[in-house]
Amino acid sequence: MSDSSTIAAVAPDEARTLADVGVQIRSDEARVRAGTYVLRDHLPLCVQTYREGLEMLPIAEALRRYDWLREKYYWQLVHVDQDDITRQVAAEAEPQGYFIWVRQGTRLTRPAQAGLYIAHDGLSQKLHNVVVLEDDAELHLITGCTTGREVRAGHHLAVNEAWVGRNSTLTLTMVHSWGPEVIVRPRAAVAVGDHSRYINNYVSLRPALDIQSNPRTFLNGVGATAKYMTVILGSRGSIIDTGGEVYLNGEDSGAELVHRGVCTGGKMYQRGFLVGNARCRAHVDCAGMLLDPGEEGFIESVPGLRSFHPEAQMSHEASVGKVAPEQVEYLMSRGMEEREAVSMIIRGFLDADIEGLGAELDARISEIATLAGHGDGR
Amino acid sequence: MDRDTSNILEVRDLHVEVGGRELLHGVNLSIPEGQVHALLGPNGSGKTTLMMTIMGFSAYKVTRGQILFEGRDITGLNVSQRSRLGIAIAQQRPPTIVGVKLRTVLDYIVAHDSVSAEEVAELVRRARVEPFVDRDINAGLSGGEIKRAELVQLLATCPRFSMMDEPESGVDLDSLALVGSLVNQLFTRESCRPARRRAGLIVTHTGHILKYIEADRAHVMLDGRIGCSGNPHLMLETISERGYEECVCCMQEGIQL
Repeated sequence: MSDSSTIAAVAPDEARTLADVGVQIRSDEARVRAGTYVLRDHLPLCVQTYREGLEMLPIAEALRRYDWLREKYYWQLVHVDQDDITRQVAAEAEPQGYFIWVRQGTRLTRPAQAGLYIAHDGLSQKLHNVVVLEDDAELHLITGCTTGREVRAGHHLAVNEAWVGRNSTLTLTMVHSWGPEVIVRPRAAVAVGDHSRYINNYVSLRPALDIQSNPRTFLNGVGATAKYMTVILGSRGSIIDTGGEVYLNGEDSGAELVHRGVCTGGKMYQRGFLVGNARCRAHVDCAGMLLDPGEEGFIESVPGLRSFHPEAQMSHEASVGKVAPEQVEYLMSRGMEEREAVSMIIRGFLDADIEGLGAELDARISEIATLAGHGDGR
Repeated sequence: MDRDTSNILEVRDLHVEVGGRELLHGVNLSIPEGQVHALLGPNGSGKTTLMMTIMGFSAYKVTRGQILFEGRDITGLNVSQRSRLGIAIAQQRPPTIVGVKLRTVLDYIVAHDSVSAEEVAELVRRARVEPFVDRDINAGLSGGEIKRAELVQLLATCPRFSMMDEPESGVDLDSLALVGSLVNQLFTRESCRPARRRAGLIVTHTGHILKYIEADRAHVMLDGRIGCSGNPHLMLETISERGYEECVCCMQEGIQL
């Protein structure tokens, strides 16, 4: 557990790129992070943990070390034959990705971080990531996915499986910032146990050409809850299709899905689908803002509900609008430039239902608001 | 170009359309440096339209005429350019903006103007806007709260020329004294010219606000035109006794008070 090894492994310009997506590579890392995993292209650059009860390993090594991983977890939530993406990931001879294991009773106050980085143009990353939280555990995992400055095209295909035990909390904060022609296809699923909570924050800054992400959450435990917060900036030429499906299987489970999208061009789909299989409460809220989207740009909001249980209380709302000129000019009448006023309004729109995201995401969201205010998503 | 620098504001033959309909039909108005004028007139006569046009809101299209500020033609400037020249407005129904707090706007002003954070904090206390300074701006506020929120922003920016749309409307008697004293503060002396106060234009229906702020002159607006101008107290007296009907007659007869 040497503090210097992540700095030695990651080049300074790569460290700066990773910092933009919330992954801090620095000498006093152990003071701000519980552990670090960085993958460049196909090569794990570093794996470090700074706390007892937390294990982070490259998935291939973890599979060699722990037989139970394959038996209980690996390919157990996402099916190998789900689609072409899962088949491509399964076909890798040596699987890439991380395994994170938080042992029973371990509540980590600092986040662990995983940086997934494409350094070479045209590269395909095919990843399989597994996170296991045992009972009475807590983890905030920041995953920053990004591409080097020179990288335009590439593929990021990922299977993500996570288990949250009883009385546990998993917060997954994903920050994406991609090259303009990158294709992104995560296939994710999370299972949540009794009285546990899963929080999924997704922020996309520099949009990829094509993102399709619709993670599934299975609230299997009694009183299990999930909250999704998705903040997306879309720009000309991009196709961004993001959302989440939540299966409310446990009695008194609950879910809240919030989606905020700003479209400065391109196609944006906001999804959120709730399936009530038990007595539960759930709400999905999609709101989009069109900002000079051009002729091709649009936002399509598709919140959905499916109820199998008479005591499933579920609701949805959706709205798509523009920045109102009278709001912009109101702020201009206090001395702001037009773009400053637009940024402030977008910032407010994105912030409206996000409480306590933390400084890292706060900064990212400000960046989205500023980019959008300049009428330039890229 | 003829420049009359003794007028801070000069409106010449102003015609304004909103949504394709002409609402101002040739307004002429001059406000000298250091003077505060009152604008009277029945509902729908164009008082708000005139103020919003002077501020430069784009829904108010100038089809003819000119607006001069300190002798400079500002008809083509946008709202922020006019704001930076020192023009400000306290709207009667300002928009609500989800997620944008009154504090966010005040923080912006502190960061960009000469006012200090301590001075703004003092204003926030004095105007009693603390209860909603961290809520969405203008959301769910009473009439009096809106006035105070608007006035705090104006006081923080220290404008050279302030416009106020019915500062007393929807304000109960208790808060009227506070609103009145805030308005009074807005028209204090200019720091560089101790003998001259800041200028402005106040729309008032009742004239109550004029107990707190001395107006130098009043204008009555009728159907998109300034009907007559004169002593504010005499005019208010006439209007409260005989209503605007008298003004309409005056206008038809071409009599000036």
